[in-house]
Amino acid sequence: MKNKSKKISKTSEERRESLARLLQEQGLKIYSELDRGEFPKFSVPSRSVSNIVYDKKLRQYILGNTASIRSARNMSQLRSFAQLIWLAFFANRLVQEKKSSTLRDIYYSSQAFSIDFEDQPESDNIIVDLEAVLARPREDLHIFPEERSSVFGDLTIEYTVPGYEGKRTNLSDHPDGYLIGPSLSSAELVDTSAELVIAIEKGGLFTRFVEEKIDKKFKAIIVDTAGQAPRATRYLLKRLHNEMGLPVVILTDGDVYGEHIAMVIKSGSANAAHLRELTVPDAKWIGVWATDIEKYKLPTIPMTESDIKRIYDLQKDPRYQEGIWKKELEVFLKIKRKAELEAFSKYGLTNITDKYLPEKLEIAKSL
Amino acid sequence: MSSSTESFNQISPSEFFYRNRDLAGFSNPTRSLYTAVREFVENALDACDQAGILPDVYLSIKAVDDEQADPKPYILTVKDNGPGIDSKHIPLAFGTVLYGSKFGLKQARGMFGLGATMAILYGQITTNKPVVVKSSPDGQSQDEYELLLDIQKNKPIIVKHNTKEVSKRGLSVSICLEGDYSKAGAKIRDYVYQTSLITPYATITFEDPKGEKFHQTKIVKTMPLPPTIIKPHPHGIDVETIRRMMADSHFQIPTVDNKMIEKVRKELGLKKNNLNYSEIMEKASKRWPGLSRHVRVVIAVMSFLKMDFEKLSKIRIDDMDIANKILAYWDFGESKSVSIDLDPESEYYKQLTNTVQGETLISFLTKRFQRIGQATAVKFTAFANLKPEKRIGTMTNQELVKLSDSLQKFEDFLSPDPSCLAPLGEEPLKKGMEQFFKPDFLEVVQRGASAYSGFPFIVEMGIAYGGEIKSVGQTVYRFANRIPLLYDEGSDVVLKVVNEIDWTRYKVKNDAPLVIVSHICSTRIPYKTVGKENVADRPEIERELRLALQFLARKLATFMSKRGHAEMEKKRANLYSKYIPLVAQFCTELAGKKKEPDYKKMLKMEAMVEE
Repeated sequence: MKNKSKKISKTSEERRESLARLLQEQGLKIYSELDRGEFPKFSVPSRSVSNIVYDKKLRQYILGNTASIRSARNMSQLRSFAQLIWLAFFANRLVQEKKSSTLRDIYYSSQAFSIDFEDQPESDNIIVDLEAVLARPREDLHIFPEERSSVFGDLTIEYTVPGYEGKRTNLSDHPDGYLIGPSLSSAELVDTSAELVIAIEKGGLFTRFVEEKIDKKFKAIIVDTAGQAPRATRYLLKRLHNEMGLPVVILTDGDVYGEHIAMVIKSGSANAAHLRELTVPDAKWIGVWATDIEKYKLPTIPMTESDIKRIYDLQKDPRYQEGIWKKELEVFLKIKRKAELEAFSKYGLTNITDKYLPEKLEIAKSL
Repeated sequence: MSSSTESFNQISPSEFFYRNRDLAGFSNPTRSLYTAVREFVENALDACDQAGILPDVYLSIKAVDDEQADPKPYILTVKDNGPGIDSKHIPLAFGTVLYGSKFGLKQARGMFGLGATMAILYGQITTNKPVVVKSSPDGQSQDEYELLLDIQKNKPIIVKHNTKEVSKRGLSVSICLEGDYSKAGAKIRDYVYQTSLITPYATITFEDPKGEKFHQTKIVKTMPLPPTIIKPHPHGIDVETIRRMMADSHFQIPTVDNKMIEKVRKELGLKKNNLNYSEIMEKASKRWPGLSRHVRVVIAVMSFLKMDFEKLSKIRIDDMDIANKILAYWDFGESKSVSIDLDPESEYYKQLTNTVQGETLISFLTKRFQRIGQATAVKFTAFANLKPEKRIGTMTNQELVKLSDSLQKFEDFLSPDPSCLAPLGEEPLKKGMEQFFKPDFLEVVQRGASAYSGFPFIVEMGIAYGGEIKSVGQTVYRFANRIPLLYDEGSDVVLKVVNEIDWTRYKVKNDAPLVIVSHICSTRIPYKTVGKENVADRPEIERELRLALQFLARKLATFMSKRGHAEMEKKRANLYSKYIPLVAQFCTELAGKKKEPDYKKMLKMEAMVEE
């Protein structure tokens, strides 16, 4: 057993402190501008398509240098300026008081401060603005989406949320897995015996893997991404890789969307190009590949037109220009058929865990 | 001349209109009541306009029996302060259906006489009651007539006539007719309201059968200049009009009977003395310039016959063959037909030629049209390939068509003389609209005179915005020759122009409270339908309307952007006083400070920028 708790604790605390400093800096800047009789302003990195570029070194999409000034002088920006400073103010309280909030909460909380958001999309947008200004994900600000995914396996964590401080839990204690929520996200990762993280696209297969004791057989932590992995899930995967030194493999449906789910875990999405802490560049997609469909004689369904259009779109993405990413896209386009993870059930319910998974993990070593 | 078929085919004009009353707008009780109101009110206003009197028109509609259900008889009375009508003309003016040929052009609300007589006729048909006319041209004595029409003979029947002393000048006409006020009421009230709007120099009072009173005192005290009567423009002429103009200038050889001889003697001053032939001719040449046309023709004939009055009374002129220079007559004394040769060198020959064959083309053109002088006429005849000296009486049908076509096509005529038009004028229109709508913004424009197909026209337009105007979107009031056009607006050219304008370009929202008043003056309004409620989209008129509206819309845009600017400043100040304190509050806590920054001076600065 490796004990990394000491080092981890420091990381988590450091992050909190640097965020608090960042927020205070913004507050001070605006405070002094107002005090001098100047109109305060924020520099908000532009998130328009033209400012999203692929960074080969970081192996993810990042924002370019274009930024727009949101000034209180401009009447049409004054309202959103006030919204932004309010959000920073509110997030600061959340962080100080160690409370968490959801996107919907934010929308309603604003009303207590005479800040009016027209609807939730407007408040969601301001949250992304603040992420871009601070270059920190909203989870750091204790703001979480409603969507949840799960994790199961031998991993001991230590809560930091108020009322649970110091309390430890092992994530293999409950067979349905643990929700990846605010308390798990803010917990310290203490200890694990696992040697691998398997991220799987579907809840059904996640349950099967738990039942088949994949965690024990392969010394793995199993993560259910529930489709496109939520940020908290990607953040956890990154921490498992960075802090616990675990390799991450990804298992998805055998279609173009599955391939892209894996890619987003590996190198992020254009939507979150303003954030750099959500990617696991070393993560590996192990299936289901287009080439597996033929190899394992999986029952298939034909691709729809939007599937095919999606392939063409991804072929323009710089990340799909090499390796299996490029090759599998081409094969998908050629066979124009797709297969789901459940397709292995044709050969028995445990076929996927007994036969397919070991073979693919073996292949993964050479990727 | 024997014509036994005459009485067989002819019907009197009254009879004709009686049979075709639908055409004149008297098809049913609802429409008839409305049309009758219009005809009398418009006659009253026209009469005052022509006499240069500020009109004071009183209109009343009273049910004969309040209890009866519609349609029922109503008494319609229209009283004005105009010039009245001479007593001796009243029976003819109100007791016959007149028709005549008018070639003079000027702008008027209605064609005189016809509509009003139709209303009287309709009243008589439906209620069998006489029309009551009271007229006082001098404001001292008033003649009161009760008249019925003899429809078959087109003659007035005077039921009653008396004279009494009064203190007010003017004319009052009262008829009893079957109508339906419950249905026509809204239309009539609209008509009275809109008429007051476009006639701000008139006082108009309306008492309706329910006892409700509309009263609009005159808003301005100046009248538009009265229009002058002018000759037609060559572009506005068709073959039939030319034919009728020629008939007007054409002259029949007069019957030389005792009555005519008496007339000749009178004009020559020969009432007492009896002169011989040469003495008559000598006297005639001295008095020539003062002689009437008939008399000149008789003298000319006498010069060839070489007869005195004695002999002249004993013959009958049968034929005058100008082309072969032969004059034929029947001698009662000798009981034989005689023909004599006409000497083409004679001065009198020219006189006869003119009479029988009409004027030369050049003279016809220069005398009977506007905008044609000698030079233009010569140029035109060359263009039309017609002989300038051609007598119009000798022109063939084909030549007439050629003349008419060429008049349309010839491009060197000056555009029509607009002096026959009487627009309302910018100032009265503006004052009228101000009074009626009490808007926040008001602008009017009068375009210069323009013409379509030889008819001059002028467009006047006004636009009013906001204030007491509560309508959602625009309301358009359309007028033509100071008559409101109330119905059938869907296909009207004014509506077309208004609907085509892109209001957003002028900073006006589509639901903005807007009133547009459009007035087209012309000697002939190109109505689309018999109903005379919508104006056809002639390109020339459409263009003028569009230019007028665009001009006004630009003025409105300037107003709107000034107002928008002020509103924006206010909004700005509100926004700042709301958000800056909040920003201060949030950043104070965020920065970990206790005291809020001094932002108050910023709000003051804002206030200064605003001013």
